[in-house]
Amino acid sequence: MPSKKRAGNKKNKQSNFAKLSIFSPNKYKFKKSCPLSVKGAPEVDYKNIRLLKKYMSENGKILPSRITNVSQKKQRELSLSIKRARNLALI
Amino acid sequence: MNLYEHTIVARQDTSPAQIKQLTDKYTKIVEKHEGEIVQTEEWGLLNLAYIIKKNRKGSYIHFKIKGSGKIIEELEKNEVIDKNLLRYMTVKVKKFDLEAKYFSKKDEYEKKEYKKDYNRD
Repeated sequence: MPSKKRAGNKKNKQSNFAKLSIFSPNKYKFKKSCPLSVKGAPEVDYKNIRLLKKYMSENGKILPSRITNVSQKKQRELSLSIKRARNLALI
Repeated sequence: MNLYEHTIVARQDTSPAQIKQLTDKYTKIVEKHEGEIVQTEEWGLLNLAYIIKKNRKGSYIHFKIKGSGKIIEELEKNEVIDKNLLRYMTVKVKKFDLEAKYFSKKDEYEKKEYKKDYNRD
């Protein structure tokens, strides 16, 4: 009995491994990391106009995070600081 | 004690002497109410992104203030009345970064130097 079980486990492992090898590379290809939460990334601040302008359209609208790949947390910070800069007429 | 960043936008036709007066006036108010000014920055005349009260440019003054919230109340009470100012804004911060200067003209000089170097190569 134990030998059979082992065999079954082995089969499962193999199958899992096969699935991983097929599907995991695709996942990693589509996944892009957030440019603002990497180590050494600049801090989001309302005074840093150059950084804020990267995440705005030409008409002065805030770009959606699905285009810029910014994480949810950083996107909130961005929108707050962009609105602050707008109030001071910096952008 | 809280940390605040406070910025003022003055009219475009204020003379440098008047700007000094403004900074003195508001530093005195802060000191009266037992606050401390950690740093003052003058960003100079900047182009406004949109026209405010028929002004195309504004001179920016930036304070970093350490103190209680009463200071901010008092400052804003005076700034609402002030006719030389276009805008004011206070932001409560957890930490000051005293090194980062986004509006100093040195950056532009550095850029020019980089361009020169690039041309040489």
